Amino acid sequence: MNPLPAPDQVGLVFGALADPTRRWMVQALLRDGTTSVPALAAALPISRQAVAKHVVALGEAGLLERAPTGGGREVHYRLRPGALDPAAAWLREAEASWDDRLARLKANVEGEAD
Amino acid sequence: MPVRREIEIEASPEEVWEALVHEERRAQWLDEPEREVDVEVVQAPHRLVWWWGEDDAMTRVEVLVVAVARGSRVVVTESVPAFPLPALAAAFRPVGQRG
Repeated sequence: MNPLPAPDQVGLVFGALADPTRRWMVQALLRDGTTSVPALAAALPISRQAVAKHVVALGEAGLLERAPTGGGREVHYRLRPGALDPAAAWLREAEASWDDRLARLKANVEGEAD
Repeated sequence: MPVRREIEIEASPEEVWEALVHEERRAQWLDEPEREVDVEVVQAPHRLVWWWGEDDAMTRVEVLVVAVARGSRVVVTESVPAFPLPALAAAFRPVGQRG
């Protein structure tokens, strides 16, 4: 068996990305590189507190990290490099496994019918 | 973000269903002897849902069987629970039992 990333860790990432607001925030980070709670609150129709909660959720899933601020007081965030790798690896592995299993199911059923 | 795969089989949904629900037949094509299948939903002959995994890392598998012109289409969706179940279970243990 290939070593799979622990589904619990993968589940945290998928759970974090299951929310449309958080997906929007990740897309904004992919586009802009860094962001901050005030910047996100200015762009989204939700309160600064709500934004902060989403930032915490993304951080707990390992998707965000603090970015160097260059002396400013505001905390900036960026995507954590490699954060999606375990989830992507699980997806690729699960897809390949199911292709194999379904091919065996087809052979099993069609062989039975002959 | 579940994984979704599908295949067409030249057999009726009822014939496909036989290979899904009978443990021996299922083991032949799953070929995952170290994973225990814990069946959650059985709706013959169209929908079977189970949980499986190794140790505490469980995922949910839903198998749908629909009739198509040439037989059946089988659609499998495997998803990871959005929440870390063992971590949650630990967090909700009575205070006295925490390590």
